[in-house]
Amino acid sequence: MTIGSGGSSIVVPRNFRLLEELERGEKGIGDGTVSYGMDDGDDIYMRSWTGTIIGPHNSVHEGRIYQLKLFCDKDYPEKPPSVRFHSRINMNCVNHETGMTCYSANSNVDELHPCLNIKVSLELFKRYYQDTDLQGFDAVQVVQVESKKFGMLSNWQREYTMEDVLTQLKKDMAAPHNRKLVQPPEGTFF
Amino acid sequence: MANSNLPRRIIKETQRLLSEPAPGISASPSEENMRYFNVMILGPSQSPYEGGVFKLELFLPEEYPMAAPKLGRICLDILKDKWSPALQIRTVLLSIQALLSAPNPDDPLSENIAKHWKANETEAVETAKEWTHLYASGE
Repeated sequence: MTIGSGGSSIVVPRNFRLLEELERGEKGIGDGTVSYGMDDGDDIYMRSWTGTIIGPHNSVHEGRIYQLKLFCDKDYPEKPPSVRFHSRINMNCVNHETGMTCYSANSNVDELHPCLNIKVSLELFKRYYQDTDLQGFDAVQVVQVESKKFGMLSNWQREYTMEDVLTQLKKDMAAPHNRKLVQPPEGTFF
Repeated sequence: MANSNLPRRIIKETQRLLSEPAPGISASPSEENMRYFNVMILGPSQSPYEGGVFKLELFLPEEYPMAAPKLGRICLDILKDKWSPALQIRTVLLSIQALLSAPNPDDPLSENIAKHWKANETEAVETAKEWTHLYASGE
């Protein structure tokens, strides 16, 4: 059974869910290629986490160690965590200026995560698609376009965990559209 | 249907917690989730926590009562290896209240605070009083 699902009718409340994830993270996961831990033991809301992914075999990421910041707001796990790469990486779903793994939790701008700088996304989007006429686009659409590149956050489900996010990102690194991309020098940060 | 399959034992315990609360302890289930309780424990008199209102969250996992209730990070043996299904929510909360009267620096959650407690109890008690006033005054 997946962590946090607790059977069909039982809903594990936020803080208990994060405690489960904390415990699991402390024990160590699988082969150790993804791991995470809490940043501040004194934060009773357990919001800020650091994740690590070791780049998968048969990709340009092999042997690299990537650090990420995960932020679980008060509405986690109803809403996904915000996920940002700290180590520089060139990857389809990652904003090249901020390291943010973009998502849209909801099509309402007010409910987007405050870390997500909509103007930055809009500017980047314009740069990527220089020929496209963007007059008709608004910020929401732009964010959603980026979010489609990492479906786990845009199609978030309560049962998903930080471990699932990291594992999925690792898988994505080895996917055909990511595994050969030219990478920034190792050990540089956003 | 979050609450439809609630075991009888949990219903019974909840009813009793509400109708005959233990002195200085209140526990009420959340409306959306009957396994999730908001708990308040009053700091015991003659302890550094006197005058404080301590809010806790309690969750009954699927395995309850074969597994202990969950209560965040509290170092208490009956929440871990000493749990028995003969214990109840009420006994757990009474144990926490007792822990406030007699903290156990030999089995701490926070090493630093336990160290302080052992090195200079008077000062540690002062800090506990201050923090109770600052963070648990119930306002």
